[in-house]
Amino acid sequence: MASTAQNTLEPLRAGGDSKAKDEDMEEELEYSPFYGIEKGAVLQEARCFNDSHVDPRRCQQVITKLLYLLTQGESFTKAEASEVFFSVTKLFQHKDVHLRRMVYLVIKEIIPSSDEVIIITSSLMKDMNSKNDLYRANAIRVLCRIIDSQMLLQIERYLKQAVVDKSAVVASAVLAGAIHLAGANSEVIKRWSNEVQEAINSRHPMVQFQAVALMHALRANDRLAVSKLVTQLTRSNVRSPMGQCLLVRYVAQVIAESQPGVGNEVRPFYDFLESCLRHKSEVVIFEAARAICNMRDVTTRELTPAVTVLQLFLSSSKPVLRFVAVRTLNKVAMSHPMAVTNCNIDMESLIADPNRSIATLAITTLLKTGNESSIDRLLKQIGGFMSEIADEFKVVVVEAIKALCLKFPQKYRGLMNFLSNVLREDGGFEYKKAIVDAILVLIRDIPEAKEMGLAQLCEFIEDCEFTFLSVQILHLMGEEGPRTKDPARYIRYIYNRVILENATVRAAALSSLARFGAHCPDLRDRILMLIKRALYDNDDEASAGPGGNGVRDRATLYLYQLQEAPEGPESVDPHWRIPAKGLEAALQAYLASPDQEEPFDLSSVPEVVAPSPAKAKAKPQGLAAAVAAGLSNVSGPETQADEYADMLKAVPQLAALGPVFKTCSPVQLTEEETEYKVVCVRHVLEGHIVFQFNCTNTVREQVLEDVSVTMDLADAEEFSEEAVLPLKVMPGVEEGPGQTYVVLARPPGSMALGRFLNILRFRIKEIDPTTGEAEEEGYEDEYQLEDVEVAAADYIKPAFAPNFRAGWDALPEESEMVDDYGIGQRDSLQDAVEAVGRILGMQACEGTDAVPPNARSHTLLLSGIVVGDVQVLVRLSFGIDAQRNVAMKLAVRSESADVSEAIHAIIQEA
Amino acid sequence: MAAWLRSVLDWLKSLFFTREMELALIGLQNAGKTSLVTVLTSGQFQEDMIPTVGFNMRKVTKGGVTLKCWDLGGQTRFRSMWERYCRGVQAIVYVVDSADLDSLDAAKEELHALLVKPSLAGIPLLVLGNKNDLPEALSVNELISRLELKMIQDRETSVYSMSCRTQANLDVVLRWLQAHAK
Repeated sequence: MASTAQNTLEPLRAGGDSKAKDEDMEEELEYSPFYGIEKGAVLQEARCFNDSHVDPRRCQQVITKLLYLLTQGESFTKAEASEVFFSVTKLFQHKDVHLRRMVYLVIKEIIPSSDEVIIITSSLMKDMNSKNDLYRANAIRVLCRIIDSQMLLQIERYLKQAVVDKSAVVASAVLAGAIHLAGANSEVIKRWSNEVQEAINSRHPMVQFQAVALMHALRANDRLAVSKLVTQLTRSNVRSPMGQCLLVRYVAQVIAESQPGVGNEVRPFYDFLESCLRHKSEVVIFEAARAICNMRDVTTRELTPAVTVLQLFLSSSKPVLRFVAVRTLNKVAMSHPMAVTNCNIDMESLIADPNRSIATLAITTLLKTGNESSIDRLLKQIGGFMSEIADEFKVVVVEAIKALCLKFPQKYRGLMNFLSNVLREDGGFEYKKAIVDAILVLIRDIPEAKEMGLAQLCEFIEDCEFTFLSVQILHLMGEEGPRTKDPARYIRYIYNRVILENATVRAAALSSLARFGAHCPDLRDRILMLIKRALYDNDDEASAGPGGNGVRDRATLYLYQLQEAPEGPESVDPHWRIPAKGLEAALQAYLASPDQEEPFDLSSVPEVVAPSPAKAKAKPQGLAAAVAAGLSNVSGPETQADEYADMLKAVPQLAALGPVFKTCSPVQLTEEETEYKVVCVRHVLEGHIVFQFNCTNTVREQVLEDVSVTMDLADAEEFSEEAVLPLKVMPGVEEGPGQTYVVLARPPGSMALGRFLNILRFRIKEIDPTTGEAEEEGYEDEYQLEDVEVAAADYIKPAFAPNFRAGWDALPEESEMVDDYGIGQRDSLQDAVEAVGRILGMQACEGTDAVPPNARSHTLLLSGIVVGDVQVLVRLSFGIDAQRNVAMKLAVRSESADVSEAIHAIIQEA
Repeated sequence: MAAWLRSVLDWLKSLFFTREMELALIGLQNAGKTSLVTVLTSGQFQEDMIPTVGFNMRKVTKGGVTLKCWDLGGQTRFRSMWERYCRGVQAIVYVVDSADLDSLDAAKEELHALLVKPSLAGIPLLVLGNKNDLPEALSVNELISRLELKMIQDRETSVYSMSCRTQANLDVVLRWLQAHAK
């Protein structure tokens, strides 16, 4: 689809057949004659309008240039616009028809201020009554654009008469102008209805089209009147295809606004739409088909005739027909996949369409309509076409396959095979990366697919030319391989990399091997032998550059760790307490220092991430940004959680509490622009909640010491305070926030709720402005913060459920709890679905978070894990009535009835 | 006979030596600008005229001279735009209703405000006291003093008293225009 979007500033491409265009585009480039003209120069040229002897040809050209600039988005200042306008008005003296036409055009486009534009009124009125139809039509168009309601009354009778003018150009001009005027002056225009009615019966298609549009514009605010008009028009014979299209649109609007028929009652106007499907003009046929497809609650029986004509369009020789048909069917496929399956054969032939937009839509439609049984056949077909299409398009297909695989996890075998087949084909980096990414996602989300995926990746790296991908895959093997049933089978693939690849890949392969050694005791001896061979690696540090990998160094290190290290072989996988960023910064500082005689001291690395001043000035990234902004950063929530985890690990008292179950998004506890800025992040652990307060002091004249937060537990009986970790000094804005923590204990695995009052306590010391020194003593002070609430959603995190139905059936039936809720007025079902999804904080399954357009009911499937690793599945059925009131039925199953109850409690309270 | 010969001569001359002249006709509303153009083109006087909204462009060929007349609206909202149409013309014709004594002050101010514009420096000015058929109409000398025309030093200025209705002095006006054509 990107191919249709064109940068208007780029030179126009010469026409000609597409193949030639691809081959020698450079030579075929043809610039618009106006490409690169400058406004200033054109304005200079425009002075020729003032010459006493006007050269009509030259003036026409200059006006064309002005119009070109305007359509390119160039803007004129008020002074420039008036200057041009007044010089153009002088051209009214000239009799040249073509020049005059350009004059009308440029005046319409420039539209100077209203107090200036009236200067041409008299000239236009003269032209309006001229004998030349072209003058009359154009003068009317400009007049309708510029007159106010007072002027309109003066010339109304001329305009009214022009509606029924025998010249179509004039009638069409005044009708178009009237549509423009209908907004502010509808009372005046309504008086013309007899004339407009006559124009509707005009033989000229354009006049008819515009008369229909005007009639509708005058009634647009009155539903009943629109309905009457449509009834009348559908009976009369609107011959113009364009007018017929408009009528179809109005009919669609009436249908959309009418109450859906009860039971088998025939939808009003449906017969009309169906008859339009047999119209001789393709535009009308398409418009009617589209209107039917977009009808609310359309039934399969109603759809069938529309889909049938669209199917004919699919095999049309005109690309535009193929495009509109496949696009409409694509939409239909979202709500009625079955109705579209008939077109699959035609659609499959479109996969190879020269127009990429058509092909893309065809593929995505096919993948939507595909059910479990047809996937294999579809894959075979797509596989045949894959070699014929461009890389960027293949990426789209791979994405679609990935989505399909997540939708039908049982079919992973066929889809995985397909991916591995295409992986073996030739292709660029982006394409290969998309495939590898897809396989990685499948391995992560579909446990059954793991072994198969790994095996295929193993084969891929045998012959992979992209270092980046090889390293990524080798790392994954190190992570996943040791935990598979038969780790030994991967060793050969990995070791092959150690002998055959470049230094970067060799090093990655070695790390991967070491992992196997660490986690699989029975393989350890053999792996040690392999690693020993790498000691003789001819890794050339110089060529590896400053970020060198040191294959030999790694080998030596791993040998030590696997054999002799006091922590045992597990030390291959060190659990770093030092954030990698901090380590990198410290190492760089060490390298930059002149004295490198002293060995690098690891303990000198700060254990808390302190954004360097330079970084803070630049755009803060990752955690720094999240903390500084004090708001949840949607992008990259995982990395954020990782960084928080690093921060907690760095504090011994907190690290002892165990792993973090969920980190909630930050909440700001102070107003913007107050003295102190405090942002709270809640970390939920098995038996605790850690409140992390990120504090920043924005007052330069004060030093705040011994900062802590006191939480009032009066309203939260299930919690007890376990620890408070104060902050020595609250850092200023430049240094980034400092952390103080409060740890609350609660019964392990419980979902205790509560709302806490918080008071920030500190010792305040004023800074003497003359000396810049802080005073010695200072005094205790406190500051009221906003409340923090622990809600039930804090205890739930989204979890991927590959097969919702299977998961649902596997959970005990007696844990199921069902209840109905009304959730009031909503803009749409999508809105309601999003709101409920947000409250529960769970993962939507099988793409049910997208509501088909115009749907009246919808089922949302959610999956999540509650603290204590309890799986919970939710099935929500939504319904919306004509008043937009949304009701829903909530069914929950989980491994514990308490949890089901808690989910209902969340909804009740929300 | 002599008159007939001369008109034939004029006609022949106009075939070969057509001269062009651009005029800007300005003045307060209801002074008689559009009437003047109509009288020049058709020789007929129309009693009932609608006010000019904006401008009329008329070309009149008289005695071997093609007059391009920019007949501008006299209402207040158009006065600020007079200057744009006076630029580059060969003569500015300022029409005054010499019988409307109340509007003379306004006419004077508009005229002097226009003439100080640097873009119009040196363009000859013709002031016409229209409607001299009415009894209360001012004479030329009265007009000169009421409009303070003596103050205009930087350009050639002429004043005529005339009437579009009776076509009195119209020939003098035409002769002045022809003399100033290039």
